[in-house]
Amino acid sequence: MLMCSIQKRMRRSERWLFPLVLACAVFCLVNASSAQMSIPGPPPQDPADYGKVILDTHSSTGPGGVVFDHWLHRSKFTCRLCHVDIGFAMRANATGIRAGTNRQGFHCGACHNGKRTIDAKAVFASCSSDGTTDKQCARCHSLGKRGVRQYEYKAYTAKFPKGAYGIDWMATESAGQIKLTDFLEGVSEKESAMKNKRDLSITSRDSWVQPITFSHEKHSLWGGCELCHPEIFPPARAERPPYSMFANINGRFCGACHGKVAFPLNNCSGCHPSGPDWEEH
Amino acid sequence: MFKESMSKGSVLKPNVFMKGVLIVALAGLGGVRAVGGSSISAAEAPSAQGGWQAEFDDVCSKTQDAMSLSAEELTVLIQRCDSLAPEIEKLDATRKTVFMGRLKRCRGLYAYVLDSKKNEKK
Amino acid sequence: MRKAILIALTVTLILCAQGLPQTGTKKRRPLPYEYGRVIINNSSEQADMPPVVFEHWIHRSKFTCRVCHVDIGFVMKAGATGITATANAQGFYCGTCHNGAMLVAGKTVFASCPKPEAPGTPSQPGLTVRRSVAEAKRCARCHSLGQDVASDYDFFKFSEPLPKARFGNGIDWEKAEEFGVIKPASFLDGVSTLRKSMPVQKDFTLAPKVKGMPDIIFSHKKHTVWNGCEVCHPEIFAGKKGDTRYTMVDISQGKFCGACHTSVAFPLTECQRCHSQPVQP
Repeated sequence: MLMCSIQKRMRRSERWLFPLVLACAVFCLVNASSAQMSIPGPPPQDPADYGKVILDTHSSTGPGGVVFDHWLHRSKFTCRLCHVDIGFAMRANATGIRAGTNRQGFHCGACHNGKRTIDAKAVFASCSSDGTTDKQCARCHSLGKRGVRQYEYKAYTAKFPKGAYGIDWMATESAGQIKLTDFLEGVSEKESAMKNKRDLSITSRDSWVQPITFSHEKHSLWGGCELCHPEIFPPARAERPPYSMFANINGRFCGACHGKVAFPLNNCSGCHPSGPDWEEH
Repeated sequence: MFKESMSKGSVLKPNVFMKGVLIVALAGLGGVRAVGGSSISAAEAPSAQGGWQAEFDDVCSKTQDAMSLSAEELTVLIQRCDSLAPEIEKLDATRKTVFMGRLKRCRGLYAYVLDSKKNEKK
Repeated sequence: MRKAILIALTVTLILCAQGLPQTGTKKRRPLPYEYGRVIINNSSEQADMPPVVFEHWIHRSKFTCRVCHVDIGFVMKAGATGITATANAQGFYCGTCHNGAMLVAGKTVFASCPKPEAPGTPSQPGLTVRRSVAEAKRCARCHSLGQDVASDYDFFKFSEPLPKARFGNGIDWEKAEEFGVIKPASFLDGVSTLRKSMPVQKDFTLAPKVKGMPDIIFSHKKHTVWNGCEVCHPEIFAGKKGDTRYTMVDISQGKFCGACHTSVAFPLTECQRCHSQPVQP
């Protein structure tokens, strides 16, 4: 009834608009729950929760959802090692990690196999099939459980330099408090380093946004080349980047890392050298 | 239809006059030019049904040598490919698809090398 | 009214666009045994069979790319060849080798699709064809998508003696062939045309557009070992050298170099394999 009365008031040439809008609205509602369409919120209040990834594809059966804390792993390894050499996707549940792949030595099982030693300690085996206890499983499958994790954020990161939004990882690394491993025996292959470490000046279409100096040096220390190129950043002219802050906020481009694991986008001065330039040009 | 899809800017006129000119030109170059023992001649054509296979094997076996062939030889090979096309069209569906695809690649390669030779001369 | 509807339409379209596949995100890296996997579903589901899972790594250790993609005639895009059970039974496509008679490395290659039912017999989609247990097991060797089928070939045992690479299958196929660890056949009796061996082709340099990226040395020799001429010319590379203009964006979309180096040959993340020359000032 309402639709009829609206359509009556519309001109004949415009009547196709209404069903089209309705179809789009239905499409939106259907997809609203998918991760692709959610608009991310601000970073969590507790810095221990920043970079937390919940991996939960079938929590109704099995040992429960996995909670992965980035802060522990990034204090030991570069981003490149896990996301390029081992091949984790940068979106929760997109990698397809299964107990089977872990046992074969892929994904988590690349290190968590009971044999690999990190800091002279053997890394516990994940998804082991030799009758391990629930306590062992709960070290990772800890969603909704308390008192099962071995490492605690505050104690572990007590001495790390802090910024406005949690740990300042670059400062921690420069201070020598963490030494990042970039090579895993049997997983990584030695390749000669690429020497392109140019800084880039990224300009915005809006004249009041001051140009950003992007440091390849700082990013390739943790990421190498393949982390970003060509998937996240296909070749484009840096002077006119094909993305905007909206895309960044949505977890694409810079937002693939900055907003989820690297310092959040709220930390404007991390990229933008100074405040907006409101003066007339 | 096959010829339209095959030609890349060059107009094909496989008529008797062209074949005659080519035979005279080749004869003028000093007879048969041996390339690995096999001769290339415009007069060679599938004589009997089933003979298309032998012709196909002969024409398309020279792709690896394409860079060392002359423009005239390449033109002859392209013509032979075009002559084969109607024979292959008569085959059953799957055979036709497979061999037309192979002929297309074989003919395409000769045309490509011929083009690059022409461009080099310019 | 019209303005309101147009605004609503624009907003919903923007939101809809969020649900579409996006650039600027890092996807998972395919596991070594997954790389080069092609799912073929021309008519499998119509015949009430699971789609076919084709693994490149088994086949490329035994045959060059040219044998399948030129001599046999497979198109380099999933589903584009139009393979049918009839064609296989007649000895085309998969049936060229998978005919229960051909010998490869001393082993008889198992026959693919049996001859379809005689003409005149009605064949309806969805109708289950009665097969013997042995036949069903044979069918499942290829028609295995979503099925738990044990393969005759174990990837780990297979790849162990081969030289390693960083990405893709984790196998350096180029070195494997060079060192004689694998001997891919370039000729199939009764199928391939007997060709002379190719004279050595010259290497040449490709200059990247992005300043600072190392030059690319393109090796014809390395490529023709696997491809001959016809795999690339003129379908993929049609113009005169220097005339064809393309960028990494085109390549990452599967054009030009990307026809192979996104799905089967070493992927684009191995920048140094192509961009190998030091940066010229």
